[in-house]
Amino acid sequence: MKRETDYGYQIKSVYSPEDIEGFDYDKDLGNPGSFPYTRGYHAEGYRTRMWTQRMTAGLGSSVQANGVLKKYREMGQRGGMCVISDRVFSDCIDPDHPNARREAGVLGWPGCSLLEFEELMDGIPLTGQSITLLGSSAPTVLRLAYVVALARKRGIDPSEVHGSVMESPFENYFGQTDVQPFDLNLKLWLDASEYVVRNKIRMRSSVISQHFQESGGNNAQAIAVVLSMYKELCGKLVNERGLDFDDAAMVPYELVSIGSRFFEEIAKVRAMRRMWARMAKDHFKAKKEKSCQMLIAVHTSGRTMTYQQPLNNIARCAIQTLAGAIVGCTALDNATMDNAYAEPSALAARMSLNTQHIVAVETGVTDVVDPLAGSYFVEALTNQVEAEAYRILKEIDDLGGMIAAVEKGYIQTMLREEAAKKFREVDTRERLVVGVNHLVIAPEEDFEIPIQEVHEGDSEAIATRMETWKKTRDMPLVTARLRQLHADAGKGDRFNLMPAIVEAVEAYATAGEVIGVIRMARGLSYDPFKVIDCPYDFQLEAA
Amino acid sequence: MAKGNGLKVIVSMIGLDGHTTGGEVVSMLLRDAGFEVVYLGVNQTPQTIVDAAIQEDVDAIGISSHAANYSLIEELMDLVRANDLDDVIVVCGGNIPRKQIEQLTARGVAKVFTPGSASSDIVDYLANNTRRSNAAALPA
Repeated sequence: MKRETDYGYQIKSVYSPEDIEGFDYDKDLGNPGSFPYTRGYHAEGYRTRMWTQRMTAGLGSSVQANGVLKKYREMGQRGGMCVISDRVFSDCIDPDHPNARREAGVLGWPGCSLLEFEELMDGIPLTGQSITLLGSSAPTVLRLAYVVALARKRGIDPSEVHGSVMESPFENYFGQTDVQPFDLNLKLWLDASEYVVRNKIRMRSSVISQHFQESGGNNAQAIAVVLSMYKELCGKLVNERGLDFDDAAMVPYELVSIGSRFFEEIAKVRAMRRMWARMAKDHFKAKKEKSCQMLIAVHTSGRTMTYQQPLNNIARCAIQTLAGAIVGCTALDNATMDNAYAEPSALAARMSLNTQHIVAVETGVTDVVDPLAGSYFVEALTNQVEAEAYRILKEIDDLGGMIAAVEKGYIQTMLREEAAKKFREVDTRERLVVGVNHLVIAPEEDFEIPIQEVHEGDSEAIATRMETWKKTRDMPLVTARLRQLHADAGKGDRFNLMPAIVEAVEAYATAGEVIGVIRMARGLSYDPFKVIDCPYDFQLEAA
Repeated sequence: MAKGNGLKVIVSMIGLDGHTTGGEVVSMLLRDAGFEVVYLGVNQTPQTIVDAAIQEDVDAIGISSHAANYSLIEELMDLVRANDLDDVIVVCGGNIPRKQIEQLTARGVAKVFTPGSASSDIVDYLANNTRRSNAAALPA
């Protein structure tokens, strides 16, 4: 059995002062709430701000997802809600697209119009909790437009809503794939980010290592990748959109994947905080302390949830949740015991949410900030993962930054090789997974976990509803708003499309329509799959 | 490693499924074992997969699936049959629940490899169960 970290550092049997030679408390750690923020941002830790305890929802129709959100609130979900998109919305086509009819509502929420968002949020407040909508990068502008539009409809100033509805264009390379081209996703991401800053909307964007790690990346790579993304995207907001760095730094947040190798996961997050603080100060010349504080939420690792003996995943989830609590996260959402099968059933969600509640109130972990600081082992691990991450970060820098590294295939190769290595380690039993390649026993006989299913008919129902509802809209208004959007989209990459997108969304233009006309204005086909044509005829008029 | 013996296998995602890690890892281990892999990647439809199977004259089709309603795999099975590709076996890999495995097998899927399957299981199965498995060494 391997006794090394996932990035290849050999772990010794015991750690002592010589393993952290030169350790300087003020320089390396600082008190909680002080630069370089290794120990977190709050002097009093969870005593002054408990982490947001939430679960991911989204499967089937919007009405069904709304029911799940309400159920989570009954189960004690506090501080925020989190909904993931289905593949159709993630690709920005509509459920009634021929390639989408069979997959609407699969693996997430089919949020392809403002109507779907209204149904999702029916009876659920937009304020007083963080609103997190996940999925892929392409629908970033749509998710933001939904929030703005629904806030206005409810008579709420959009600046009173907070959460995260945007997603970085890089996630496309980490297994969170959508069909839209990178340059389009990047342009729309910059539009959305600039819009929230200029309109003082407290919406964040995920710029995250979670997908990268869930696809197989190691801890040091994850830190290097997330910092490279921050560097590239904040740099663009400053240099191309004219924002102050201290405003740009309020856009991204990191969602970190926490697996079962307890101490290594804790070291990763501590190193990440310290490295961003230094980058913000040294590279970006941050003027505000807050800009040096990378907002970090935790997702306990879905890839570690095994198909075999799913009840074992409850134990894994608890260990990972404890690690996530120890690192001092802002929010935490859990993987669930049925994660290797489907989106969480009510039973699995309750189990995971209760795991958070148990960790929060029964273990004492919330009493003390960064309780492992000063451990020879944890400080040594923090230094090790930091050193390896700096090495990779430099390689990415030398290639010309994150975009260049992606264009050159460096990131994709790194991830592919690491995923293959992780598979081989389990295949050859260098790493043991109980129930998978170690202590393999027959499935539990007396208990089978419930598994959520979306059937073909469920997807078809979502598609049919979209098809018939589309015709009931105020079509002259939809057409006028889309025409304006199409015209704006021809005005160059720096012209911000958010105002026109919000207007189109308010007229109930759909995801496929909004992104489709933007695509056309950029010389692309209306439909990324080239199966359907644009139903509107203003393409030539606008020229 | 000669277990694959030049047998030709498609590895593909189906529909809008963008989870590529499993398919990429399996492609690698099949190539390492001497199979010829035609990796189709994402956004394939049942029709494009069958078209590729005919054009490339493959011995097996492998579908990597990460959570779906499986109707696209069922449609693929219908198309395989409609195109007289009965001697091309279809296997699936992914987090497919037991109930769906039974349904897919009933529709003609030869084998479903669930998460945690050993590489030797996948390699041996394909080496021993395709139309050309019993032939002597194939011409290069």
